[in-house]
Amino acid sequence: MDTTERVQIASTFLLQSPPGEINDVLNDVRNIIGDDDLLQEGIHPALREYNIAQFTTVDVPGSGHQSIISEASRLPAEDLDETQERFLDPRSKTSFVFDHLSLEASNPNSFEPDAEHESFRVALQTSTLSYLSSHFQDGVASVFFSTTDEGPEFIIQVVSNKYNPTNFWSGRWRSEYVINLTENKVVGKILVNVHYYEQGNVQLSTTYDISFALPPAIISAPPNTAASKIIALIEDEEGKYQISLNDTYQEMGEKTFKGLRRALPLTRQKIDWDKVLGYKLGAELSSSKGMFGNS
Amino acid sequence: MGDLVDSMLDLMRRLPPTRTEENVDALVRICPDYADDLLGSVDQPLQLKTDVATGRDYLACDYNRDGESYRSPWSNEYDPPLDDGTVPSPKLRKLEISANEAFDTYREMYFEGGVSSVYLWDLEDGGFAGVVLLKKTMAPTTPFEPSGSWDSIHVFETAERGRQAHYKLTSTVMLQLVTRKGSEGEGSPPVAADRKGTESWKRNGEVSLSGSMTRQTEQDWPIHDASSHIPNTGKMIEEMEIKMRNLLQEVYFGKTRDIVYDLRSVDDLEKARRQKELQKELVGFIKR
Repeated sequence: MDTTERVQIASTFLLQSPPGEINDVLNDVRNIIGDDDLLQEGIHPALREYNIAQFTTVDVPGSGHQSIISEASRLPAEDLDETQERFLDPRSKTSFVFDHLSLEASNPNSFEPDAEHESFRVALQTSTLSYLSSHFQDGVASVFFSTTDEGPEFIIQVVSNKYNPTNFWSGRWRSEYVINLTENKVVGKILVNVHYYEQGNVQLSTTYDISFALPPAIISAPPNTAASKIIALIEDEEGKYQISLNDTYQEMGEKTFKGLRRALPLTRQKIDWDKVLGYKLGAELSSSKGMFGNS
Repeated sequence: MGDLVDSMLDLMRRLPPTRTEENVDALVRICPDYADDLLGSVDQPLQLKTDVATGRDYLACDYNRDGESYRSPWSNEYDPPLDDGTVPSPKLRKLEISANEAFDTYREMYFEGGVSSVYLWDLEDGGFAGVVLLKKTMAPTTPFEPSGSWDSIHVFETAERGRQAHYKLTSTVMLQLVTRKGSEGEGSPPVAADRKGTESWKRNGEVSLSGSMTRQTEQDWPIHDASSHIPNTGKMIEEMEIKMRNLLQEVYFGKTRDIVYDLRSVDDLEKARRQKELQKELVGFIKR
């Protein structure tokens, strides 16, 4: 197998890493591939893709808080190559270089936000952070502004991680809401991943897409009120979703799980194995008896 | 290089169970020399095959494979046909036939459907080993109907010691459950009623719970004749599946749900914090 294919397979494995286990997966992959030089060179794109997709959190230099690595936080850099790529923390108005292996930020620069939209972004950020502390123990949130073909957009991202390797489990909650004030709509998604691996490998993976139009009352409200009302809608939606997950769990347990295998046979008794064997042998005997008896 | 296989097994314990087949395939391509080690120790979803001679379905896994062919427990034939395919000794084949019938009854009583297969093979020290396979799939008839599958793999080894037999059982159950919901879908109730008349709300979601768990046990049982092995292994496997079904229920519907609630709290944490503060204050006030 040529080196390109080996790097490609290693990358596929890395991209499938459960929450908080990318280093464990990388260790396994190193051992399996047995060529650190090749990996060091080859897997950078996969690590970068993983960090961006998984909303990896980073300590922002000099800020005392964390921000999110994502497509929304990536600064457009046509002239620069990947290693010089910069990410943005709008909250501290800092851009930085991110090391996708050590997960550290360096080389901070101050960033000049869009003058026209910054006040509404800050209003959304304030409401988002207060929502975050109300419902997430260890959550990180960032609110970004970006100009797109569909007009100016505000992007709210939330991530919450819990890693507990001692008890063989880990989990990640990601959510994202894109608010477009030209079309007055919100498009969001919630993704939850859980890995439980004590003497086994059990994974929960959920996806949830949502979109809704902003009610006129919100559109016409002053920016601060509008921002807090939008976050209130999101808070309500995420709460409802989490409760609906409970119903799904119950449905899966009641219908699917029970439908696959009963707890006990219809007789409510365990099988009488001597009888099971006896029946079969008996059936065999009587059938052979019939064969000879009737001739 | 044993630790290479260890790394492969550790990797398989971390990557999504829904992609086991594709990942095992990739590992085999990277390390073809370790294909047998890997295929022998990673449990993969059982494949359904149909016996050409009898028309009955059976299950294929590494234990009834010879080269590219699989042996059916019903006709004892390989598909594609093999002239010199490994088969159990005539004595063991007789036991295999009875075991297949007994576990077929077991399957009907617990699974009310699905497919079962039992394969036995002679061991060099005179004993024998076997595998009991069970599989049931629930395929959805509409996009919003829940689907799922259950695969059991019970591998056992037995050694006779006079009127006793010692059994070593390793059981793996693979369970996969998927539920899709959507506000635009047919026949599915909306996730939550919106009284504000916001018909523009669109919601679509999928919940997938999948994985496998493995447990082992060793037991001694009396034997009267060769057929005693069937009730003996039957009782052990039945007991084990009951235990594992409870375990799966606990982990799938309890553990993973608790972790979601660790990630996000439905209740307002700020409110709870303020309440705690207030309580502290009151306690301080009373003490004064």
